Amino acid sequence: MINNGNMSDILKYMPANISSILVKLPDSIVEHVEEVRLRVGRPLIAAGSGKEYVMGSMGWLEAAKGEPYIVTVEDIKSAVQLISNFSVYSVEDEIRNGFITVSGGHRVGLCGRAVLDNNKIRTIKDISFLNYRIAKQIIGAADKVMNYIIRSPDSIYNTLIISPPQCGKTTLLRDIIRQLSDGVERYSFRGRKIGLVDERNEIAACCFGRPRNDIGIRTDVMDSCPKAEGIIIMIRSMSPEIIATDEIGRREDGEAIIDAINAGVKVITTIHGNDIEDFLRKGSLESLRKDLFERIIIMSRRNGVGTIEKVYAENYCEIYSA
Amino acid sequence: MLIKLIGGILIIVASGAFGIGMGNKYGGRPKELKRLRILLQMLETEIIYGATPLPFALANVASKADNSLSHFFQDIAEGLIRGSFYSVKEAWDKAVDTSLQDTYLGASDKELLKSFGGILGASDSNDQQKHFKLFYKQLEQQEDLAEEDRRKNEKMYRSLGFLFGIVVFIVLV
Repeated sequence: MINNGNMSDILKYMPANISSILVKLPDSIVEHVEEVRLRVGRPLIAAGSGKEYVMGSMGWLEAAKGEPYIVTVEDIKSAVQLISNFSVYSVEDEIRNGFITVSGGHRVGLCGRAVLDNNKIRTIKDISFLNYRIAKQIIGAADKVMNYIIRSPDSIYNTLIISPPQCGKTTLLRDIIRQLSDGVERYSFRGRKIGLVDERNEIAACCFGRPRNDIGIRTDVMDSCPKAEGIIIMIRSMSPEIIATDEIGRREDGEAIIDAINAGVKVITTIHGNDIEDFLRKGSLESLRKDLFERIIIMSRRNGVGTIEKVYAENYCEIYSA
Repeated sequence: MLIKLIGGILIIVASGAFGIGMGNKYGGRPKELKRLRILLQMLETEIIYGATPLPFALANVASKADNSLSHFFQDIAEGLIRGSFYSVKEAWDKAVDTSLQDTYLGASDKELLKSFGGILGASDSNDQQKHFKLFYKQLEQQEDLAEEDRRKNEKMYRSLGFLFGIVVFIVLV
């Protein structure tokens, strides 16, 4: 059930030309690859742990000589078919959101020409840029922050995680959920019922409704559901003690979170940003500011992915600094 | 005399049967084209209203088709599910070449079918629907041509078979 997150999981979603090049990478590098990028007419690039690997047809260019492998239109077309299980029409919503989740919870971001309808994106055509992102579950990623989140053996603080992309925000949230759901012996915290609204299906990585990641024994998941609606449904139907969700941003997300807190449910969520100022500046989340969050965790990748920069308590008072 | 008569009748029957066989070829083609169109309509429904992923949609259609056409859809579905192809077009073209040998479909029908494989599944449902509509039009035209061929040739071959048998019989006797 646990997903080790390895590049080899996603090779079957790549055209033969590309996967045959990537398998030439040595195992030691494969383990660290976090992204594989395909851009029409540009070199094939894998990246991970802050390093980039420009690929030639014989393998990594720095190890094997030769010219970089240039991705063709056909490569991308074939990749899109493989990612969508040969059925672009069945993943229209996903394409509109700019990414498709494949089995194992890995995500493929896509870009091209947006087709508009009433000022909203109807679909993306002529897809020319793909980003395969390898999902990794790191058990114990949240060990450093659990003591800030747990309030008492049966309660937690409403927590907000602020982090730029690619700093391990989702990984941290996933492990927090797992620990709170299973219970944390070290703090004699008993497991709580968690309602996870996983709009982008990144946290639990559900495939046909079944989580591929370990998210604890008391967690219910509503996957691919808009956050605001999902939160309300969860509160009504599953009696959660904690609601967890990823990357809030829209006004209605903020309102749903206030509803949850007013209903006596604890909330853990994340937001994109570099520091607390970014959160305060977000107009659409105005309603959320006033001390709703009792703990705010700031992340960066200063000392590698998953660095905890700061933790704030009520009234934005700093209680931890790296 | 009796032996001659029996031989003669055998010649007429054999030649007649050959003629009927040739005639059936012309009769079978429009029927098969029509069946193909109906199966593609089922596929369209699966795609547009069910949003069923293509490999499973094809397998569902195959289960409703009879023998030779069923093999065609089944082969594509299995190829895609097994992961032995990198695009629908590859799987589709291969099935057109190998799985339709037992049918009456001609080279021009297969050419037309191949033109559809590159489009299937490769766009959103709006677009798919348009392509299906267009393809039905083309198939209908093909059906009309096949029907015309049938009218011209089916009867002719059938009667020609018997007549040829009778001519041979008369010449020999």
